[in-house]
Amino acid sequence: MSASTPPINWAPMIVGFLAGFVSRILYLKSGRSHYPGYPSGYISQVAMAIIAAMIGSSIIVALIGKQFTAATFLTLAATQFRDIRSTERSTLEQEEKLILVPRGAGYIEGIAITYEARNFLAMLVALATSLVAEWIWLAGVIAGIIFIVIGEKLMSGPNLGKLVDVQPAEVKFEKGTLLYAGPVMMMEVGLADSRERYRKEGLGVVLTPKNPRGEAALWNVAQRQAIAHEAASAVGVQKDVGYPEQGTLCRMAMPAGTGQAALTIIPVERDMEKLIQAIKKVPVLESGKWSRMHNTKNRQEQKEETHG
Amino acid sequence: MADAPTPKMFAIITCDKNVVTSGGMAPVFVAPNEIERDRVAMWICRITNATVHDLHNGAVILTVS
Repeated sequence: MSASTPPINWAPMIVGFLAGFVSRILYLKSGRSHYPGYPSGYISQVAMAIIAAMIGSSIIVALIGKQFTAATFLTLAATQFRDIRSTERSTLEQEEKLILVPRGAGYIEGIAITYEARNFLAMLVALATSLVAEWIWLAGVIAGIIFIVIGEKLMSGPNLGKLVDVQPAEVKFEKGTLLYAGPVMMMEVGLADSRERYRKEGLGVVLTPKNPRGEAALWNVAQRQAIAHEAASAVGVQKDVGYPEQGTLCRMAMPAGTGQAALTIIPVERDMEKLIQAIKKVPVLESGKWSRMHNTKNRQEQKEETHG
Repeated sequence: MADAPTPKMFAIITCDKNVVTSGGMAPVFVAPNEIERDRVAMWICRITNATVHDLHNGAVILTVS
């Protein structure tokens, strides 16, 4: 800071900052979590992105300028980003009671973790880019682009469409009052009026796992709640407070235990294609992301089929 | 919904008095026929945010979760 310090090389800081900032901004599309939606939400996220990118990009410059105090302070500032997760979580949890089809705790945690991780990623991209830009600034620009692409690849988890097959299914009633979507029993609907609404306006889809990972994802309650929420937010749901039996349900084929799940909904917009696309785009939640379940029941049936 | 709620029986509406005894847990409404039973069931469930379940023996129960 005094006159004795060498002239500061701004290039790595600027290149690193831009790379970190872009990597954070790229993900700031509200599609899947419906947050941020308002300008105020965007501004707080953009502000965090600027701070994260600045911290990441200035550490190397501070270290090279032998400003160790500054570097230590920057790492201290980085710890502040841990709060993002809880802020995000409490925002979404407060909405939960006012959404007709809630997201569920598992989905909320997933969104919160992603937002937190995004800021740290922006920091890391800025850090790595400024390290390369310290060497040759043009190489830093290229490295920045590569780091952003790698970050995007690492952060985007699989969608449900990769693991699960979604097919339209008939909504019907068996034994008088039991609501079925295809082969899957959903619930008992006692009111004749509600049954009529399901018959006339209800849509049903059957979700069949393509592989053991899809099977594990569907058995996860949080995952199915996320599916129900995304389905309801895509096509809408004709339900209000005081109509509990007309809500969106996503249930497993239960006494059968085949690993299939089904979803019934009374949509506002009767568009089966849109519903299926929305379900396919549901992110696979972290809790069920890597687990696999081989449904032995199905395997036995398949064997019997091939033998017979 | 993610954590399965525990439903509480809120009321019983029947058109067959033989299938229920008043156990003190929920009020029992007696209806002369099934049409009247369904009407009363719908009325009460809309007011109280309850779900109607048919027991297929002449009685419907209302549960609140």
